[in-house]
Amino acid sequence: MLRSLDRLLIVVVVVGWLLGWGNHAARASVDQPNSSQEPLAIIVNTSNPVDDLSQPELRRIFLGERSHWPNARRITLVMMEPGQPERKALVTEVCQMNESDFGRHFLQGVFTGEVFVSPKTLASPVGVRKFVFNVPGAIGYLRASDVDSSVKVVRVGGHLPGDKEYSLRIQPSRASK
Amino acid sequence: MKLAERSSFSVAQNPCICRFSPQVVRLFVAVVMLCIAGRAQTTTGAKDSQEETIKVLLRRVDQLEARVKLLEEAGKTGSAPSPTPGSGQTTTPSESEAEQAQTEHAEPERMDVSKTLLRIRGFGDINFHGDNQKGDTTSFTLGQLNLFVTSDISDKFKFLSEIVFEGGPDNIYGVTRGQTNTFSVDVERMIVQYSHNDYFNLTAGRFHTAIGYYNTAYHHSTWLQTTTGRPFLFDFEDRGGILPIHTVGVSASGLIPSGGLGLHYVAEVGNGRESRSPFTEEPVQNVIDEQNHKAFNLALFARPEAVRGLQAGFSVYRDVLSPSQSPTVGETILAAHAIYIRPSFEWLNEAMVIRHTPQGQRLFETPGFYTQISRRFGSYRPYFRYQYVNSSSQEPIFPDVGRRQGPSAGIRYDASESVALKLQYDYTTIRNQQAISALALQMGFTF
Repeated sequence: MLRSLDRLLIVVVVVGWLLGWGNHAARASVDQPNSSQEPLAIIVNTSNPVDDLSQPELRRIFLGERSHWPNARRITLVMMEPGQPERKALVTEVCQMNESDFGRHFLQGVFTGEVFVSPKTLASPVGVRKFVFNVPGAIGYLRASDVDSSVKVVRVGGHLPGDKEYSLRIQPSRASK
Repeated sequence: MKLAERSSFSVAQNPCICRFSPQVVRLFVAVVMLCIAGRAQTTTGAKDSQEETIKVLLRRVDQLEARVKLLEEAGKTGSAPSPTPGSGQTTTPSESEAEQAQTEHAEPERMDVSKTLLRIRGFGDINFHGDNQKGDTTSFTLGQLNLFVTSDISDKFKFLSEIVFEGGPDNIYGVTRGQTNTFSVDVERMIVQYSHNDYFNLTAGRFHTAIGYYNTAYHHSTWLQTTTGRPFLFDFEDRGGILPIHTVGVSASGLIPSGGLGLHYVAEVGNGRESRSPFTEEPVQNVIDEQNHKAFNLALFARPEAVRGLQAGFSVYRDVLSPSQSPTVGETILAAHAIYIRPSFEWLNEAMVIRHTPQGQRLFETPGFYTQISRRFGSYRPYFRYQYVNSSSQEPIFPDVGRRQGPSAGIRYDASESVALKLQYDYTTIRNQQAISALALQMGFTF
């Protein structure tokens, strides 16, 4: 009887481990937002009627699972180049992936035809800002300090980058330019 | 005097001029003077206009210099205002300001429209394979070379195709066709997609039928797959597969408003699969359907927000097959799937039943399923798959399949972001045949 219970326990632990519970718990403890970290602002074109996006909505958008805004305009994703702290923050915080998985996700999405258009990659915050300014359906991200009046910042989960409760932040160790 | 002499000399030398009277000469001189005056006036006018142009240009240069200065200052000061907490959004520019800026920066939406619209991505695999099946030899094998071509035709339209070069003979329902070591080219997918919104997308061309999950998730890339190959159930038509993997027709797909449930639909109509034996032709009816009846497929699946990575759904496919010298056969394929995929973990489960009803005869059912599980440890991903298909030996369409089942176990090693090495062992039992043990080493890559 004891041996059966032991086996059951081992199976439960192995299955739990396989399902990645351990990883999630570790992640959750690491990813607590810290108000000292610089916020990552989500920006859209000023003509975009969207003011607020929930975190799941944002994730679906940045994973290419949504291709149109409510006003039927096509969504154009703007990403910064791999290695940029802003991009890292978005990929880990919003998409909850690493860079390699993110790239693979898009490759597979385009391959299956589910992702209609792959993201535009731009090198600098100025480039991102300019692109979002020019393209009505664009959505991108910037450090809050790089945002200017040419683009519109959307709330994430009802909060703006200046709010304490705002969840999207850039890791401080890599935040310095 | 000398001058007079010269003049007279010259006049004397030119009889035409010496014939002009002094009045005419005076008149000529007057006309010349007038012309010169007129020309002088014109030059003055042009000078004026040039001056005007220069002034305008200088003004423009001044304006541009001022603008450059402003931009430089803005760059130095780290740009404009940061978001104001609680204001709903950042300081939005006034409409006129935005309009002015839009005019100044006006660029087309498609910023890379001047560049090529065609993108090509490649997938390929090279294998080393051996098994204990009689007549088989251990061989290095070139797998598929897949050129995946996409193009954004416009905002709403997209082109996508897979052009696949592959070696070896075709195997269609057990009938072998073609040379062993020659390569052939297949256009495996060729579609134009129209995306109206998230709820309605239309696809026309040759596509992978939305039966189950695997068929529309991995297509012709082994690199994207965890294992070295597809499950029996989803083998391609020209590799012994039993399903109508490809369809030529149209497909509508999109979201169904369902909140967090994340319901999606796919509705397809097409030529279906060729069924007229002997199979000497391409099994996919690319150009002409052997009959007027069309194949239909309807798939529904959910991706609930609450369990990210989970997808569960079902599909119903219906066609009428017309094999030569036998009655028509009604074909219904019912499939269901539940898959859970996260970056480091995957669990795929699919089951289906293929029902063939020859006119006036009994129903033949072929059930099948597979389950596949894998977990990533850094660059390594061990995996396990068990699969099963059971077809009657009286089956009217694919009597060669029989019952085959067995496990596969392997490990995938991602040597780089684009290259995967896989080692897989398969053990397959087949009804009335010797069990097959096979070992395969594969290098799958994307480029």
